[in-house]
Amino acid sequence: MYRNDMTRKEIERAFAERSPDDERLIRSLENCDRRHFLSVSMKFFGMAAAASIVPAHAFTLVNVANAAEGGAPPFRFAYVSDTHLYAKGMDHRFAKAAIKAVEDVNALDPQPDFVLFGGDLAQLGKPDELALGQQILKGLKAPVRMMVGEHDWYLDLGEKWKSMFGDDHYSFDHKGVHFVVLNSVVEKDFWTAKGYSNEERMAIVSGLDDSRQSPFEVGEPQRDWLAKDLAKVDKNTPLIVFSHSPLYKLYRGWNFWTDDAEQVQAILKPFKTVSVIHGHTHQLLTNRIGNIHFHGMLSTAWPWPYAPKGLPEYTVQMYRPDPFNQLDGCGNGTVDVIAGGRVNKNYSLWSRNPRIVTAKELEGKSLPGGGYKGPSY
Amino acid sequence: MRHVAARILGGSAALTATAALALALGVDSGNAVADDVLTRTVWACDHRKQVVVEGVAPDAKLDPARAQLVADILSDLMRYCEEEITAEVGLDQRITIRANGKVYERWTPGAPIPTLRVSFGEPTDREKAIWQAELDKLVKEGDRLFHSDEVGKNGVACAMCHPNASNTHPETYPKFQTQLKKVVQLRDMVNWCIQNPLEGTPLAADDAKMQALESYILAQRKGVALEIGKH
Amino acid sequence: MGNGPTSQLDSQTGQRAVRGSHIALLVVLVTALTSATFAATPVELSVPDGVLPPEIPADNPVTAEKIALGQALYFEKRLSTDGTISCATCHDPRTGFADRRGKATSSGVGEQLGTRNAPTTLNAAFLAKQFWEGRAATLEEQATKPLSNPIEHGFKSDADVVAKLQTLKGEYGPRFKTAFGSDQITIERIGQAIASFERTLISLDAPIDRFLAGDKKAIPESAQRGWELYNNKARCNTCHGHIGALPLFTDDDFHNIGVGVSRLDFAKVSREAAGKVAAGTSVDKLALTDPNVSELGRFLITGEQKHMGAFKTPQLRNIALTAPYMHDGSEATLAAVIDYYDRGGNANPFLDGGMRPLKLTAQEKADLVALMETFTSSDLERFKSLADLMK
Repeated sequence: MYRNDMTRKEIERAFAERSPDDERLIRSLENCDRRHFLSVSMKFFGMAAAASIVPAHAFTLVNVANAAEGGAPPFRFAYVSDTHLYAKGMDHRFAKAAIKAVEDVNALDPQPDFVLFGGDLAQLGKPDELALGQQILKGLKAPVRMMVGEHDWYLDLGEKWKSMFGDDHYSFDHKGVHFVVLNSVVEKDFWTAKGYSNEERMAIVSGLDDSRQSPFEVGEPQRDWLAKDLAKVDKNTPLIVFSHSPLYKLYRGWNFWTDDAEQVQAILKPFKTVSVIHGHTHQLLTNRIGNIHFHGMLSTAWPWPYAPKGLPEYTVQMYRPDPFNQLDGCGNGTVDVIAGGRVNKNYSLWSRNPRIVTAKELEGKSLPGGGYKGPSY
Repeated sequence: MRHVAARILGGSAALTATAALALALGVDSGNAVADDVLTRTVWACDHRKQVVVEGVAPDAKLDPARAQLVADILSDLMRYCEEEITAEVGLDQRITIRANGKVYERWTPGAPIPTLRVSFGEPTDREKAIWQAELDKLVKEGDRLFHSDEVGKNGVACAMCHPNASNTHPETYPKFQTQLKKVVQLRDMVNWCIQNPLEGTPLAADDAKMQALESYILAQRKGVALEIGKH
Repeated sequence: MGNGPTSQLDSQTGQRAVRGSHIALLVVLVTALTSATFAATPVELSVPDGVLPPEIPADNPVTAEKIALGQALYFEKRLSTDGTISCATCHDPRTGFADRRGKATSSGVGEQLGTRNAPTTLNAAFLAKQFWEGRAATLEEQATKPLSNPIEHGFKSDADVVAKLQTLKGEYGPRFKTAFGSDQITIERIGQAIASFERTLISLDAPIDRFLAGDKKAIPESAQRGWELYNNKARCNTCHGHIGALPLFTDDDFHNIGVGVSRLDFAKVSREAAGKVAAGTSVDKLALTDPNVSELGRFLITGEQKHMGAFKTPQLRNIALTAPYMHDGSEATLAAVIDYYDRGGNANPFLDGGMRPLKLTAQEKADLVALMETFTSSDLERFKSLADLMK
């Protein structure tokens, strides 16, 4: 009924070409009383769904082909990431957005098994920012797993974070999946030689385009820990790794980068099913390197544009957000762990249609492509 | 040229060596046209070059042919950036050049004026260094403001949504800005962003901060082709 | 209370064109009553310089004959099951072509109250979509739907509408013949005729237009301050912007600004609907039991989550005449509307991210109201003959 190349006008006409029955249904919804409603609701929604629109240059609803394939039972976890809170009260736009994310997650039915916080809770690593974040996240009904971002770390090199939230890297098992949480935003010391104060160091690191800082890395100590941790895990066990920065090299200029990515990937490679869920990039971002799937999380605070180069071919870009709408390009989401331990990544974009990136899509012979490929940089 | 000839024959001024040479060349170093002839003078923008056209009243409009000749003469004379030059256009359309105390008859645009250095108005290296330093200073200040929380009131910095001024597309202005519902310039969108996502106070166009911000944003897109109106 | 509409008859090309079409109408009416012959006297819709003319479907060019028929139908109360409701009942020329009966929403046959606040027909020809959820792409499509709505004109189907008009065949047969070439009455033709009439309801001459054209004295100072606020602090213009080519103060788009969410457990119902449609659940299983589900707005038309609870951005011309406001008429006055936006609307999970508290002072709010009063057309006298048809 609808094609990708239809103009908006054509789509609207197609809408209007409904059967008289459908028309009656819609009209009667306008003036419904209970008696009317029950008789129309079912049929009505059938029509709406059959009319799945695919306007050009907009988000398409990718239906999840989620048939059971045997193996570990499916489950779901949610994520809230990159809240970048200032301690300016609950009315500040970043605080309100973080609260909105908590409400979204709390409204999920059924509730997710746990919620991952993806890093950058605070904006400038200050104790009162972290405290505000902790207070907001306490509103989540499901249990929370915390991960650190560079904005949380570089004021005091993680002292406050660790005292509030525990280790910056750890692992756990859940329903047959081995989860690893990394601190992938380690930076080689760039501050001591220059005599930067703690605040200056934090300010430099908080500038995405500030080239005075070092590239992110996982670093040798953590890689050693990872190797030891994974040595105890059977290679057929599905692996899900949480990191703040993408564990590959996308764009050095914005630290969309992990300097020792190849070495980390080498440690993960022997496992049959590996997915990396990362924050930091504040956009829809998808990649596959070998057998490893990489999915970015949305930020609640603001969206980034796409980097001028290095964008993975697997990524279907989002059309650039409208700054009038502070929620546009932001959001939260969930991750469905499906049979075999692979993941489908749900992006719950605020003010836009949601987007689901499936494991099947990433394994497909042809790349998803499509979507808006216009200039963003 | 008759007037000139009359001057030479009737002039009582002592002939200097230069004048003698000039005489030998067939030109006169004496005064300009006779007082009883109407002339109209057109100055170049630097007020160092002038063209004196004979036979036209001082405030009259030149006919197209003569206006074009005046324009051609001035365009050519502007090459001699630092010099003061007078060109006289006679009734017979012949041009006399007076410069540096010398007179050159029957000159045409494009012909050399031997004693004058052709400078093309090129700045010296030192001048260029000074100008670049001033620009760099402004761009640097813009860089600082762009990344700071001073511009707005809620702590949001421009660079948060626009690292390296990405996604600002200054080369597409003027364009219809959907948030403003009309065609605007870059600085109008900068002000919109200051007011809306940054919750700050808009800046006047000549405000030093606006000048700095615009300079920084444009500097990041140096070399990118203009594409006004592009969305 | 600020500036009311001026009563001067500013002559506009629109006025000339309409006068021209009025003469044509007279000729046509006379012709229709004497000998019904098909005629297609083209009428050109006249708009001010720089304004994009309304789109006209290729299969329904505007003719004087269709306008005459459409006008008759627009005011025809017998086009309702109990003979009390015409289009003009809810879209009354006496009050800016909106409902003057003082309730929040419009009522139809048997005084049944509907859920929607009738929008104005004036300038509706320019809009890309009709109805608050945007379910009609043209005036033709919109015009006939209220006829077969049980709460509006009351008919059970298009066939019943046609049947009713057939009983008036004596009057209408010849008119259909003149306008369409045969006396066959069909629902399509009814829509086409009414749409043609509605296309003449153009009025783009208000004090604000003169102010924007450069006449600094056209609106009072309070309104001028209001205009400044409208485009800056109050953030109105992004959705209700004035564009030279489409000067209706609407972006012709759909936004959830939170109106009506208190009528139901909106958060629950909307999240449920969104979640299920997004997950690809068979929609037959979407057993939403709340009868106020029409508050889900355009989502019910497109199924797109971004349209959850979203309604059309209305045009603001003549807004001072078309109280009450919002799709459910829930804001009674312009001042109440300003207060609503000042609060940042009603929170709900799908509230448009452009809504935020504005922190307007009392003076600023008054200035905005004064501004909106300058959106009232100065040439409404042109429609006096239509208003007279209501008496």
